[in-house]
Amino acid sequence: CQTEPDIDITALASDIDPPDVLYNQGLANLQGGRLTEAARKFEAIDRQHPYSEFARRALVMNAFVKYRQGDYDEAVNGASRYLSLYPGDQDAAYAQYIIGLSYFRQIRDVTQDQRDSARAIQAMQAVVDRYPDSEYVEDAQAKIRFARDQLAGKEMQVGRYYLERREYVAAINRFRNVVERYPNTRQVEEALARLVEANYALGLTDEAQTAAAVLGHNYPDSQWYADSYALLQTGGLQPRENTGSWISRAGAALIGPDA
Amino acid sequence: CSTSEVLKQGYVLDEDTLALVPVGSSREQVLLSLGTPSTTATFDNDEVFYYISQTRSRPVAFMKPRLVDQRVLAVYFSSEGMVRQIANYTLQDGRVFDLISRTTPTGGRDLTFLGQLLAGPGEGGGAVPNPFGQTSDGNPY
Amino acid sequence: AVVNSIQVQGNSRIDAETVRGNITIRPGQDFTNADIDESVRRLFATGLFSDIRIAQQGGALVVTVSENQILNQVVFNGNSRIRDRQLEGIVQTKPLGPYSEPLVQADIQAIRDAYAAIGRNDATVTTNTVTLADGRINLAFEVNEGDRTRISTVNFVGNQAFNDGRLREVITTKRSNFLSFLTRRDVYAEDKLRADEELLRRFYYNRGYADFQVVSSFAELDPATNEYTVTITVQEGERYNFGAVNVESSVADVNTEELQALVQSRSGATYSAEDVEDTIVAISERVADSGFPFAQVTPRGDRDFANRTISVSYLIDQGPRAYVERIEIRGNTRTRDYVIRREFDLSEGDAFNQAMVRRARERLQRLGYFGSVEISTAPGSQPDRIIIIVDVQDQPTGEFSIGAGYSTGSDGGASIEASVTERNFLGRGQFIRVAAGGGENSRSYRVSFTEPYFLGYRLAAGFDVFRVEDDRPDNYSYEQTGVTLRVAAPITNNLTAGLAYNFSETRYTGTDSSLSLAYQQGIASSPWIKSSISPTLTFNTLDDRQLPRDGIFAEAGMEVAGLGGDAEFIKFTGRANYFQLLSESQDIIGSVAVGAGHMVSLGDNARVFDQFLQGGETIRGFDARGFGPRSELLADGDRDALGGTTYFNASAEASMPMPVVPRDFGLRVAAFADAGTLYGTDLDPSVTVGGVGFDQTWRASVGASLIWASPFGPLRLDYAVPVAKEEFDDVQEFRFGASSRF
Repeated sequence: CQTEPDIDITALASDIDPPDVLYNQGLANLQGGRLTEAARKFEAIDRQHPYSEFARRALVMNAFVKYRQGDYDEAVNGASRYLSLYPGDQDAAYAQYIIGLSYFRQIRDVTQDQRDSARAIQAMQAVVDRYPDSEYVEDAQAKIRFARDQLAGKEMQVGRYYLERREYVAAINRFRNVVERYPNTRQVEEALARLVEANYALGLTDEAQTAAAVLGHNYPDSQWYADSYALLQTGGLQPRENTGSWISRAGAALIGPDA
Repeated sequence: CSTSEVLKQGYVLDEDTLALVPVGSSREQVLLSLGTPSTTATFDNDEVFYYISQTRSRPVAFMKPRLVDQRVLAVYFSSEGMVRQIANYTLQDGRVFDLISRTTPTGGRDLTFLGQLLAGPGEGGGAVPNPFGQTSDGNPY
Repeated sequence: AVVNSIQVQGNSRIDAETVRGNITIRPGQDFTNADIDESVRRLFATGLFSDIRIAQQGGALVVTVSENQILNQVVFNGNSRIRDRQLEGIVQTKPLGPYSEPLVQADIQAIRDAYAAIGRNDATVTTNTVTLADGRINLAFEVNEGDRTRISTVNFVGNQAFNDGRLREVITTKRSNFLSFLTRRDVYAEDKLRADEELLRRFYYNRGYADFQVVSSFAELDPATNEYTVTITVQEGERYNFGAVNVESSVADVNTEELQALVQSRSGATYSAEDVEDTIVAISERVADSGFPFAQVTPRGDRDFANRTISVSYLIDQGPRAYVERIEIRGNTRTRDYVIRREFDLSEGDAFNQAMVRRARERLQRLGYFGSVEISTAPGSQPDRIIIIVDVQDQPTGEFSIGAGYSTGSDGGASIEASVTERNFLGRGQFIRVAAGGGENSRSYRVSFTEPYFLGYRLAAGFDVFRVEDDRPDNYSYEQTGVTLRVAAPITNNLTAGLAYNFSETRYTGTDSSLSLAYQQGIASSPWIKSSISPTLTFNTLDDRQLPRDGIFAEAGMEVAGLGGDAEFIKFTGRANYFQLLSESQDIIGSVAVGAGHMVSLGDNARVFDQFLQGGETIRGFDARGFGPRSELLADGDRDALGGTTYFNASAEASMPMPVVPRDFGLRVAAFADAGTLYGTDLDPSVTVGGVGFDQTWRASVGASLIWASPFGPLRLDYAVPVAKEEFDDVQEFRFGASSRF
């Protein structure tokens, strides 16, 4: 194992280029699509002129370049360093948004760990709360909705796993978790339909009917409601809302109490 | 040694504690003696407690366990929170039907065979300290 | 107090806006001393300033800072044992970071600790700096690594029951020997010594010494020779046996007699902490499985000093009623959620059962997909609810490996095999393997796939597609392509049933006329199609796959060929291997193996390629296909091996670590005796005229072998001398087999 050559630090004079030249070269490379070259230029500014005005802008540009290259961890690091040094600055919203996007791009399939969904929600929520008037708020909210749908999707996937094995207690609690915690996601329709199935299989017909009624009430033309209705028909039952039941209360929360 | 296995799942019901909660006893007493229900039927004012237990038998280790017995103990409460009625549902009350196979689409990156090969040793774990010795949560030290 | 502006003084490089951004005081807002302290703390936390003073002058708040020097480059010189990259990870002083003296001192100590961890306790670290323009600095850590500190002796004081040699094998701190640079076992570390004390305690507790204590353990460094001498003083105390042992239960209708049978700590046997633990696990599993998931088993031991016995009673009582609220699976960046969840016998809503959680953990670890599997519990939303948290860390399960091997014998020679294996294909738990291999005159290709949970059952179903081309210069060559569809089903924890359908087509070509009549008949019937069903039953209780010390591995199978195709026969085969640790102190392992097989051909006569062929791999000392029925005398004075319809063999072996060499070499010697016979034939009488050896005569051999579990792969060297053989058998005393994957 060869030893690394000793470096004589006196000779290590750092070559200093003017920051604005470096910054413009970085931008040119970025426009030209040469991302690695652009990143190197921005990092050179940070190294040679730390804490200067150009260094500040280079830092956030570098975070963007790393994000475009798909190096999400580095993008998050660069952006977080920017936020800790210049918390009140005008590019802070953008830096926070980059962090959210970096986590968002790493969200995995619902059968795998959803920690990136949770991180994306947290970061995007920070954009919405801290920088309410920035132009990134609208997309941040869209990303939050998608990430929440992923989390709901994971609950559904586990719920279906237990439903197939006819372990109804586990299934009902998982689907119920979706209806209560993720009501405004696309998954809630299926959650209600699965609750109809689970309760019906258990023999708890009034629960099944209430679930179907809430589903029909909120999503009358959804295919899930049609299936649930057909299922209840086989037992000669009608979706009848039992107003006291939790499902109808959850349904009310869905569509607002007066509707 | 017999290869068959009996799996008792869900709530473990024993008859004598059931006698402790006749009709008219309070919600707290039910919670005290029977414990938290497997699932409840009401959102907030706990209209019904369900204690669900299932027994499965698996003749041989590789078979799927078959549901042989299922008991749902339903404790209905009146609006003042007193036990109004206790009902028992058994396996016969349950219905057997095939589930809807459709699922709601979800997103997220999925593994492709090449992706898995090229991805190598999976995600690099842990926060990578950047030149300022800061961990990713931003404090300098 | 309120100010209307904030002025920043003393900053040259750092932007005033950055300073204002990091303090909590805003112009026009009221602030207190607490805000000032908070601001100072936050400014220090950025690490950019060596000194900060905040004071109010009239309407303005004045923040005076003096900037730390900024590091331009940080380098490491003189280090070879530890790479620069690793040192960068340990050290907190970073390029572009602030240069602060206390931080550099802390880094020097961190580097010294890193060197101590690899056995170089006398490494020294100094720093020198060069200041550049505008207050920036280059810093170099000069490292002088010194040489390895070794351990000269490890001696014990106060031990009578076990000699020093035996105790040395128990602990992990070892004397330095010439292989230490590889094993690194001779590095002295304080916490390793503490761990060794615990190992000694367990060792003695498991052998009856309930009062054992480690009085002291310390290491002295002799600076002249840079070597440690480690001295451990122990006090063994009395040796105890088990007194009365019984099982009591406060839980109604738990029948304790049945549980009594599970007790490993027999009364009268020497006391062993391990037996007590194993008994607790066995009883709690049996109780949980028989419908009492909340029961808890606690041992109560009381000591009788007079006749030195400890009587143990196992108390079963009702534990807290707790149910599983959720099973959270985290960290699976590749394996799918259901692949992990299906290993749990208990589901959400079931009673919390420690035994089942432990079983799930074992199953998950045995899958081999995870670097680490940690199962912990967290309180649920209700007092009687528990959340099970499963933290897994996916490890690479893909493997590209090249294996080389060499074996002696007539069809031996060097061989090489390259294979791509993925044990967790797409995170679905499926196994896929593509392998290609070759020898001097043979090439083989194989693709295998297995789905462990076929159609949701715990059935490992899969297929293999293979092609073998073998052209031996001296007699005949063949090309075989085939497919096997297989399914394996666990009946109980140790018993597995398997069923496979095999289809193969073999084309023989043989130009050499000196082949025996039987082989010529075989080649004439090419292409030969075999379509067969083979059910098997496997019983496996081995404690370790690489080096079993206890347990039985037995396999019985049948192959019925004749569902179409040309081959028509039924083959019964069976083998069993029993391992037993004969002496724990000398680690002598005894093993006995038996095997048998019988073939009945249906319809017309069998072909020579279908009969059993036995040789050196069954009875060491014989060449491949070295014994059994032989063809007529051929022109070159040799006889071809015809194989037989029935075989029996038996083998006994005892192995122990090589005496003089330290054990962590992995070198073992073994002595063995093999015996066996191969007889009977179903070939067409016309081709066996002039043949010999069709009767049941036993061959036997005795010998010794050298086994080395080397870092490059298992090596085995057998030397065996046949003591009973037929004059026409082929003998080969020396066998050497090595295969290494890298």
